[in-house]
Amino acid sequence: MNDIGEFALLLALATAIYGLVSYVMAVKGNRVDLYFSADKTPVIVFGCVFVSSAVLLRAFMINDFSLQYVWAYSNIELETFYKISSFWGGQKGSLLFWTLLLTAYTTIAYYQNKKKRLEVFPYAMCVCLSITIFFLLLLNFSTNPFERLPLPPEDGRGLNPLLQNYWMVIHPPTLYLGYVGFTIPFAFAMAALITKNLDDSWIRLTRKWTLVSWFFLCMGNLFGAQWAYVELGWGGYWAWDPVENAAFMPLLVATAYLHSVMIQERKDMMKVWNMSLILLTFVMTIFGTFITRSGLIQSVHTFDEATLGYYFLGFLFFVILCSAVMIIKRLSLLKSKNELDSFLSRESSFLFNNLLLLGIAFATFWGTIFPIISEAVRGVKITVGPPFYNQVNVPIGLALLALIGIGPLIAWRKASWGNLKKNFKLPVIAGLIGGAILFPIVPLNSKAELFTYATFILCIFVMVCILSEFYKGAMARMQLNKEPFVKALGILIWKNKRRYGGYLVHIGVVCIFAGIAGSQAYSVHTEKLLKIGETLEIRDYTLRHKDLKAIQQTDIKTRIIALLEVEKDGKVIYVSKPEKEIYKGQNQPVSEVALHSTWKEDLYVILADYREDMSITIKVYVNPMVSWLWKGGLIIAIGTLIAMWPDRLERRRRLERMKKQELAFSPAQE
Amino acid sequence: MTTKKIKFTLGAFLIVGSIGYLISTSISQTSMYFVTVAELTDQGLSRYTSELKVKGNVVKGSIIRDPNDYLEVDFAIADKESKGNNLKVHFKGVTPDMFQDDGEVVVEGVIKNGVFHANTLLTSCPSKYEAEKQAGKSHPGSVTPYELKKPDLKDLGTGPKATI
Repeated sequence: MNDIGEFALLLALATAIYGLVSYVMAVKGNRVDLYFSADKTPVIVFGCVFVSSAVLLRAFMINDFSLQYVWAYSNIELETFYKISSFWGGQKGSLLFWTLLLTAYTTIAYYQNKKKRLEVFPYAMCVCLSITIFFLLLLNFSTNPFERLPLPPEDGRGLNPLLQNYWMVIHPPTLYLGYVGFTIPFAFAMAALITKNLDDSWIRLTRKWTLVSWFFLCMGNLFGAQWAYVELGWGGYWAWDPVENAAFMPLLVATAYLHSVMIQERKDMMKVWNMSLILLTFVMTIFGTFITRSGLIQSVHTFDEATLGYYFLGFLFFVILCSAVMIIKRLSLLKSKNELDSFLSRESSFLFNNLLLLGIAFATFWGTIFPIISEAVRGVKITVGPPFYNQVNVPIGLALLALIGIGPLIAWRKASWGNLKKNFKLPVIAGLIGGAILFPIVPLNSKAELFTYATFILCIFVMVCILSEFYKGAMARMQLNKEPFVKALGILIWKNKRRYGGYLVHIGVVCIFAGIAGSQAYSVHTEKLLKIGETLEIRDYTLRHKDLKAIQQTDIKTRIIALLEVEKDGKVIYVSKPEKEIYKGQNQPVSEVALHSTWKEDLYVILADYREDMSITIKVYVNPMVSWLWKGGLIIAIGTLIAMWPDRLERRRRLERMKKQELAFSPAQE
Repeated sequence: MTTKKIKFTLGAFLIVGSIGYLISTSISQTSMYFVTVAELTDQGLSRYTSELKVKGNVVKGSIIRDPNDYLEVDFAIADKESKGNNLKVHFKGVTPDMFQDDGEVVVEGVIKNGVFHANTLLTSCPSKYEAEKQAGKSHPGSVTPYELKKPDLKDLGTGPKATI
């Protein structure tokens, strides 16, 4: 069976190479026979990779430890749920998983477009196939998941217990879905460049794909944060680790693209910029993979596969070179006729939003590679940590937050003072009132707390900006169609999915900003050794050590649980149960955090140690507003789904816009 | 170039410039030297007075916890290859789950009287890719069973805890 998997991988590689060569020859030599021969190769490649993946999954299911990979990441007792996640738990499997997604995406793009856009379609397939070939080469010749062990052991080593967590099962696939998804926009953008089809058809296609990938990447990041928070037991959710940055940077660039592309649709401007952004997004995903697989940059995640890292570095340079050459060659075709009219306009707010997003991306990039640069230039390794990222990204982030409010309300082309006064009077007043109410409540003793205060004021301002858009739209419908408010609001959103879906995403982002600000500035923690009956006090909570228990959960898992009564305002509100789990075959116990989450704050308890006399050492955090992050994520998900929903009205609107564009500029709103 | 264009170029430069300024000042304010144990001991411990970051592996058997206070930990780290030069480290706080003999750690802190006082202790992550690396070294199946340092606790058997 494993031979079939291995053979399928080879066959996939051969087919992909054949497909690439015959597509190129068919297009160059204008040969229809070759074109038909090459046609369907993307599907066949997907079939082969699918078979190969199925074989590997089967090996996990039947505990076939003759495969080194299965032995390293699974054992007999592992739950089926986690056996599936072991598939992408390691280097080799994750590459196979990547390839599986890539070929699946390619196949979807194939069926979407094979009857349309025949001029760019073969080129896009060529780009996809080339990237697939790179991964298949790695899988076949460098990191073969079907590598055998000469003497099949009886049991495997098992999956790291820290990875045996619900979030860890869905986090990597979600992230990969996002990462890999950016390949398709890249392929179609390249194809558009090669074939000089630079009207907005590639934009329409790539926008959808970018949105889908953006969605998965965004969710993947949040799932990862959630996992780090509940599983790693350090009280935080984000550490600016290179591996996290690697997933964060493409998200920022893709966000910039999703915004600036609207200017191109409306005004036929910024073509070079948009093209560069979409290519850069893909480059960032490969760069991220390079970071995580090279071990070149010290990260708390060890990925010591140096050789693989250099393959990715080579591939990265190749991709950058191709992108740069193509853009420079087509520069004259990407020139736009229009130009920006005024600083105070929707267009320029998009421009500034782009600069700020890329600013955050660049700062993150610079901080990530700084150790390498300093070592190359000065001979010493110098690192920067979270203080650097916070110091740089917080001010930029706040400017960005303000723009979230300003952007959607400011008029296109040129805003007049009257327009500004009319739209921003209410939000500014609301922000000021909110600030005045918060002033006596929130502490303002440090720089971080001042920044948080500013963030809250901005959040209120932005929230009122966005909600007033919903309100105005719904009120207009109410008066026009005599509908009740809720119905009017629903129809308004449904008839303008892209616009109001986008606003919903903004609301989610505002929640996340508020959550980050609150949890970063006001978090407190303390550690203490407690004998039975002793108490620990933190903020307005009192924790009393009641009991310590040991439970033999399964043959391989023992749980040590501490029971702590939590009192607030003299009343026992619940019993906190932090625990340590001890797995057979693993060298270290795993802490299970006890989390009590409310919209206001989280009480986060870690069992650090326990003794024979039943005394325990615990670490307790009070993290305000962390749940706002997860709620914000949920709102973003809903908003993105609405924005992505197929929309016939949107198509009509676009056609009208294109007609208008041909005549003249669209007049400024209001 | 029209005046409009110049205005926009200036505006963009202003933003890019201030971001650049922010990055460069923040780097000089927050950066830390990142050295290995060998580099540190070769150059002399007294050379570094500011906060720095050191990477090394925990020397086997060197972890000593204060019997009265679990949070006070003393241990030594050394480079993975040359086990010669040790660096004594003191840390106060809850150690991560992965903190153990031979484990790779990154510590941040300052050197006082030849001892590294760490304020941050990071262990290599629950690495997904780590097992790969070890696979070559240990013989399949020879993973030593972990001996529970289980205290003699009464087993009261509460139901499974709700997942958080």
